[in-house]
Amino acid sequence: MTIPLTSSQRGTETEQAPDQKRRFEPSGKDQATGAGRRVSIKGLSAWYGDQYAVKELDLEFEPNKVTAIIGPSGCGKSTMVRCINRMHEEIPGTRVEGEVLLDDQDLYANEVDVTSVRRAVGMVFQKPNPFPTMSVYDNVASGPKLSGTKGKHLKERVEQSLRSAALWDEVKDRLDRPGIGLSGGQQQRLCIARTLAVEPEVVLMDEPCSALDPVATLRIEELIEELKTRYTIVIVTHNMQQAGRVADSTAFMLTGELVEVGPTETIFTKPTDDRTEQYVSGRFG
Amino acid sequence: MPETRQAFHDELTELETQALAGLDMVVTALERTMEALSQQDVELAAMVIADDDRIDGRYLEVHQGILSLLARQAPVATDLRLVAALLDVIKHVERMGDQCVNIAKTIPLTGHEPPIVPELLSTLLEMGRRVTQMIEQSKKAFAGRNVELAEDLVSRDEAVNRMHRECFRIALEAGEDVDTREWAMMMLGVGRALERMGDNAVDIGEQTAFIVTGLFREFTDASHPAGVS
Repeated sequence: MTIPLTSSQRGTETEQAPDQKRRFEPSGKDQATGAGRRVSIKGLSAWYGDQYAVKELDLEFEPNKVTAIIGPSGCGKSTMVRCINRMHEEIPGTRVEGEVLLDDQDLYANEVDVTSVRRAVGMVFQKPNPFPTMSVYDNVASGPKLSGTKGKHLKERVEQSLRSAALWDEVKDRLDRPGIGLSGGQQQRLCIARTLAVEPEVVLMDEPCSALDPVATLRIEELIEELKTRYTIVIVTHNMQQAGRVADSTAFMLTGELVEVGPTETIFTKPTDDRTEQYVSGRFG
Repeated sequence: MPETRQAFHDELTELETQALAGLDMVVTALERTMEALSQQDVELAAMVIADDDRIDGRYLEVHQGILSLLARQAPVATDLRLVAALLDVIKHVERMGDQCVNIAKTIPLTGHEPPIVPELLSTLLEMGRRVTQMIEQSKKAFAGRNVELAEDLVSRDEAVNRMHRECFRIALEAGEDVDTREWAMMMLGVGRALERMGDNAVDIGEQTAFIVTGLFREFTDASHPAGVS
């Protein structure tokens, strides 16, 4: 089935083959200065079997802002984030309802190609997970290679991604060495470079620093500050001080529901909801 | 759900208790100061001056405790507002202690049997009683997070301010005798110190409202008083 693209849709898409699903192409932005895209979650519910993990949640992530998601373990924050790039549905027995919009495009529309969603919405995980058998270079190159980038362009993309992840200077002389030979903090930045290499619009980070030492953590946080000029960033964190340091907005979730979202400063000085107050001040959790 | 961070919250509660007990120390100092003023008791005045070291010590203790708490515990939300307010309260405790010292220092200067203007002295003593009550009320409002009681300090402060202005009138009419006029001038300094202490109590009330509402606002704006543009 061909999905006609209207002129209002962003992107550089051209005529599609009849059997192709719609892909989320880069929005045509200048990667150096371009804006991220708005993510809007509308009435999102997610289940594991019969068990709710996320319940009728509405939330918006502003372009070029960092939004932190906080909440106790099991509150559904990771599940919610995994719904944004359609990873939740990969687990057998799971189900998702509702809408996730990238600007005005619904990522859950029937005709949408899931792979292109995951390219547009990159994810960095808790534990650094470089491809174990690959070199530093190949870890970053593998994504763009799959989409046909090669030769000089590929090299440039790898360097640009490693520079964006603030790792280039540390690895430029050992690009052919195994990725897993790097330190934990470097491995995590390598994973960030790998995510950036496919030119996403949105970067999701699920506890990206929880396995890192304080110095490596601060380097990632500085990097996040820099990346937000080009991407929309969502970070799940258990570390309240981290949310305070990096996030423009903070959302508090409890038992699958959004309790409160607002400017980070407000959440940490004068939250509106008593449950937020109790959680951020450590009275439960 | 079970209470977490118990040690932190115990520590914060203890800091508040210490800071508010600082207000009790000020009340004692002020009562002694006013007694010394009314009786020309130079020894009691000297005691007030010496005892101010205890109030300064309390200031340092609470200040250090708050810095340590901020560094180690990173308080947020209501806890953070309480910590910020306590920094303010303890500063006022220290300032009010110093005002008592300022008053106490004038007592030996006025001599053994000063040429008292009874109306001026009784006005000052009444100001002292009222300011003592205001300090006690500010403590009660803060401890009980009682915004209404805190706001009530404003009208009490206005009464003290009126009495302060009254002191000027009495001093101006003190007559031609140089010694009497000199004494009256010194007493204006006492009136000024008491008036400032009333303001300190109102400021503590404002901190109470800040903890409860999360918004800082001056109860009265001295630079833009109502009705004056």
